[in-house]
Amino acid sequence: MADPASTSAGIGTLAALLLFIAASVWLGTVAQRVVEKGSFLKGYFLGNRGLGAWALALTATVQSGGTFMGFPSYVYTSGWIVALWISAYMVVPISGFGVLGKRFAQLSRRTGAITVPDLFRARFASPAAGLMASLLILFFMTFMMVAQFKAGALVMKISWPGSGALALVEDAQVGNDRYYYLGLTIFSLTVVGYTLIGGFLAAVWTDLFQSVMMFIGVMILLPLTLAAAGGLAASSEKLRYEVSVKAISKDERAAHVPGRARAEERLRELDAALRRIVERTSAERHAAPAPSTKQLLTASKAESESSWLDPITGKPLQSFGDQAPLDPPGSVQRRLLVMTPRDDAGWQSALYSNGRVRSGVFSRPGELNSGPGPFDWQPLGLAFSFFFVWVFSGMGSPSGMVRIMACKDTPTIRRSIFLLACYNMCIYLPLIVICVCGRTLLPDLAVSDEIIPRLALLGTERIWGGSFIAGLILAAPFGAVMATVSSYLVVIASGLVHDVYQRFINPAASERTVRRLSHAMMIVMGAVAVAANLYPPLFLQALVVFSGTCGATTFVAPALMVAFWRRATAAGAMAAMGVGVAATVSLYARGWFTTHSFEPYEPYGLHPIVWGLANSHLAGIVVSLCTAPPPAPLVSKLFDAPGGR
Amino acid sequence: MTPPHDDPVLRSARREALVVLAVWLAALAYTVGYCHAFGYGRDPETLAFVFGFPDWVFWGIVTPWTLCTMFSAWFAFAFMTDDDLGAEQAEESLAGEERPHG
Repeated sequence: MADPASTSAGIGTLAALLLFIAASVWLGTVAQRVVEKGSFLKGYFLGNRGLGAWALALTATVQSGGTFMGFPSYVYTSGWIVALWISAYMVVPISGFGVLGKRFAQLSRRTGAITVPDLFRARFASPAAGLMASLLILFFMTFMMVAQFKAGALVMKISWPGSGALALVEDAQVGNDRYYYLGLTIFSLTVVGYTLIGGFLAAVWTDLFQSVMMFIGVMILLPLTLAAAGGLAASSEKLRYEVSVKAISKDERAAHVPGRARAEERLRELDAALRRIVERTSAERHAAPAPSTKQLLTASKAESESSWLDPITGKPLQSFGDQAPLDPPGSVQRRLLVMTPRDDAGWQSALYSNGRVRSGVFSRPGELNSGPGPFDWQPLGLAFSFFFVWVFSGMGSPSGMVRIMACKDTPTIRRSIFLLACYNMCIYLPLIVICVCGRTLLPDLAVSDEIIPRLALLGTERIWGGSFIAGLILAAPFGAVMATVSSYLVVIASGLVHDVYQRFINPAASERTVRRLSHAMMIVMGAVAVAANLYPPLFLQALVVFSGTCGATTFVAPALMVAFWRRATAAGAMAAMGVGVAATVSLYARGWFTTHSFEPYEPYGLHPIVWGLANSHLAGIVVSLCTAPPPAPLVSKLFDAPGGR
Repeated sequence: MTPPHDDPVLRSARREALVVLAVWLAALAYTVGYCHAFGYGRDPETLAFVFGFPDWVFWGIVTPWTLCTMFSAWFAFAFMTDDDLGAEQAEESLAGEERPHG
């Protein structure tokens, strides 16, 4: 599908990317000025606890590049069930800020904690608990960050004019070519550069910037797409019987397609027969409405004196959507009209209302409009599990917790809840609507990840500056990836410098040493990520969910213990962390060994996050109760009213 | 069971956390339950659309999402209390920022 639009989009995208880069570097320098005002550590790693409502709301919950990149493609291929998959975001605003927010903000002030491990250490008076938390954070975040570099490099690569690609595609053949390396270089220099300059605040502000750009993009795209599709109702109606095609290897396709020729030929004959009848009847009575498919099929059956049979299986064809008329040949929007029964290998051929015929392994008609979605996309257990995944990976993410610790005061937390609630509703629901309309506007995309970029191009074709608007929308994932990477860089650097070096190696380090070391660590982490991405990892999407799951199963239980449970002990917190991560990693490992893909083993159809959380809480409670209670003065300092007797 | 000297922030945070937990459970039960009952294995013939959304998506997801957003507004502006988070306390054991430069 080489269309001239993709080159001009490249220029618009490049301009938008440059805007993102310039804005980020500028924000980095602004952040630096703010950081210089206070002590280095609190300024550089915590923004002097001055985050306002907007910065907190739109950046502290997990909206990594992965979520935004994968989600539209899921809606495109699997339909409305993806709304259920994402629906837990309806409670993320209150769960993300309303549960741990106040207490974390308070306790981190009372203990002077700068990082999450700091807080754990102070709460349990246990260096071991702090060290364990830092090591676990370093472990997950490094993985996750390395994976995000690939995404960043790929976005840079595809936005190069003439690269011919429009979206991130994860497949084995991602080019390790010139453009990829160039993209990797520019991406790494930018992100490491501005994060190094401005630290925590630079990460937060670029994150805020990209969230706002994303919002603007969605708000522009929504009316454009709705208008092009003739409204959501029209789109939904066209999708009533729509089928999804299973992704199949080239070899398998080559082996089966020739065998389908007879069925495809028969469907083309049927299409021709139906269109002949339409022509004749419209000539006879031109004022009458076009005949429905059902009338046509009945007429053609009577005419040919044989019912239409599938030549391969010998069974009758199934027809769908009988009430609407045919669409003109070649029109882009169409309905599913007729399907052959499955052959022995599960293959079918389909005729659409615009005359298109194709073969493949199809989902059952109508599965885009119902659960569990095409090819059993979201069984009930997973629908249930994702209410845990989104809610608790937001709550358990160390970079999110740090941002709560950095918030200014409680009115900030309250306003953030409201802002995020509005933001989530205005981003996710419209995105679903956009992609459902996109499915009818561009029904046969070879690469479903391209849905948003292609819609952006289509919608902005006739608008002044359309290419730049399209570019902004295309660049949004780049902004998301930059923001994610930069916030991880801050957490990892603070972990290495503050939690490991200052705690265990050189507690007397001077501010200058700490500053130099922080910068050095960011450069080192950047270099590690670049080195790892010379051979890019394959499973970006899966790594995002894996890392979120690990964060949740490791940190949610101990965080709740820190905030609310007087009786919690250091051993209990460490047990909760250890058991949680062990449960998650072992389920993933078992999945890896049985299926040889990055898919977890799911006992009883439930995602590892459910098992990890349950085990982690259980371990935390049982071990705490079995060990000696924490010292009373410590608990009193953190749980009793100050001076209040 | 709560000791008499609970910090006011602890008390209000605990109250708010419990309400959030209840809302999360209710949203989970209703959304997954409704979608399972009316959306799973739905016959495309009987599917109706509300404002263009399949009926089960509208009643099972869009409606509770709207209610949750309204609840969040109430939670943020009427239910959640403002508290003094206390003064920043320098940590005793660490050098670096507390030490004179050099």
